Amino acid sequence: MNKKVIVSITFVVLVIVVAVSFSSYQANLLEMHDKTKYLEKIAAKTASPLINLESGSPPLGSDAAPITIVEFGDYQCEACYHWFHTTRTTLIDNYIETGKAKLVFVDLPFLGRHSPIAAEASYCAEDQGKYWEYHTMLYTFQDGPPDSGWANLDRLNSFAFSLDMNMDEFNECMDSSKYKKRVKANYDESVKNNARSTPTFMIISQDGMTEKFSGSQPYSVFAASIESML
Amino acid sequence: MHVMLAITIFVCMFIPLSILSEFLFIEPFVIFHVIEDRIVSFALIAFISLMSAIVIPMNIYRIRTLQKSMTKISGSVLGSIIGASAGICSCGPIGFSIISTFGTVAGTATAFLTNYEMPLRLASLGLLCLVYYTTAKSISIECKTR
Repeated sequence: MNKKVIVSITFVVLVIVVAVSFSSYQANLLEMHDKTKYLEKIAAKTASPLINLESGSPPLGSDAAPITIVEFGDYQCEACYHWFHTTRTTLIDNYIETGKAKLVFVDLPFLGRHSPIAAEASYCAEDQGKYWEYHTMLYTFQDGPPDSGWANLDRLNSFAFSLDMNMDEFNECMDSSKYKKRVKANYDESVKNNARSTPTFMIISQDGMTEKFSGSQPYSVFAASIESML
Repeated sequence: MHVMLAITIFVCMFIPLSILSEFLFIEPFVIFHVIEDRIVSFALIAFISLMSAIVIPMNIYRIRTLQKSMTKISGSVLGSIIGASAGICSCGPIGFSIISTFGTVAGTATAFLTNYEMPLRLASLGLLCLVYYTTAKSISIECKTR
């Protein structure tokens, strides 16, 4: 084929791609500026979440909080680490500690073989009433790529030891793989709810309206979503 | 035409790369979010998109006008591809699909791209700069000769 024709076809394809992306971008911008439209969009989202949170973490915050924030995450995920150390703190200060929202963590361990083990360890910590302390420990000491060893069994034991946990109980829990099925149930629940990356979030209101988005997004996105549901 | 092509290449590289590297989010609304410790990564994406937008049209001009071989354009496309694939978040939907489908080996491959994001992007930028230098030199010599 003539080089001229190839270049022309490539150019036309590129122009179409850019035009489609740009029009979608413009549409989103316009929608964002129009608060009413945005709220209508939220309200239009189907009610009654089908998500089953029974296997997830104990809720962080008041059980009576009208908003539930569900985080689908992996302890070896770098983006989850960034979200934990940026957005989460402000979210806790402004919505969880004020009783407006509660946070539930649902495991989506797919990044490596240490991911499900770390998730199991978090539930072994829950047995001793230290789920969220252990969760914080994992995201504080995430160091290096998936399966590089920072979340191997020895490190998981040392995290438990640092939290003054009963090590016999913890080791027995880990050795018996007591929570393997629970972690698998969480994985299945995440996939069922179309979580295809970590972190993915679902904001669920009391009357069942839900909004789902993914990535380590800034606080303003969460605030806009929560405020529109309160 | 070449300016249009350059703008198109820049936009087509910069926007998808920003989305895949989780700097640009389109849901629930469009927002750019670059955290402090990822500024260098964002700057590298911008530079790679810019260099690709300069180097590829330059080579197309060289091939069309001076009837030269396609060696240099393949170098610039290779540089762009390396730069684009490096650092794509393994936690993202692409990483999830690859790892879910191909298992541990794919996990290792995506982890490699994430871990060596900086060196790979710098190598890609280096390759693009080299292609720019040789192409600019070649165009200037050929034009003088003609």
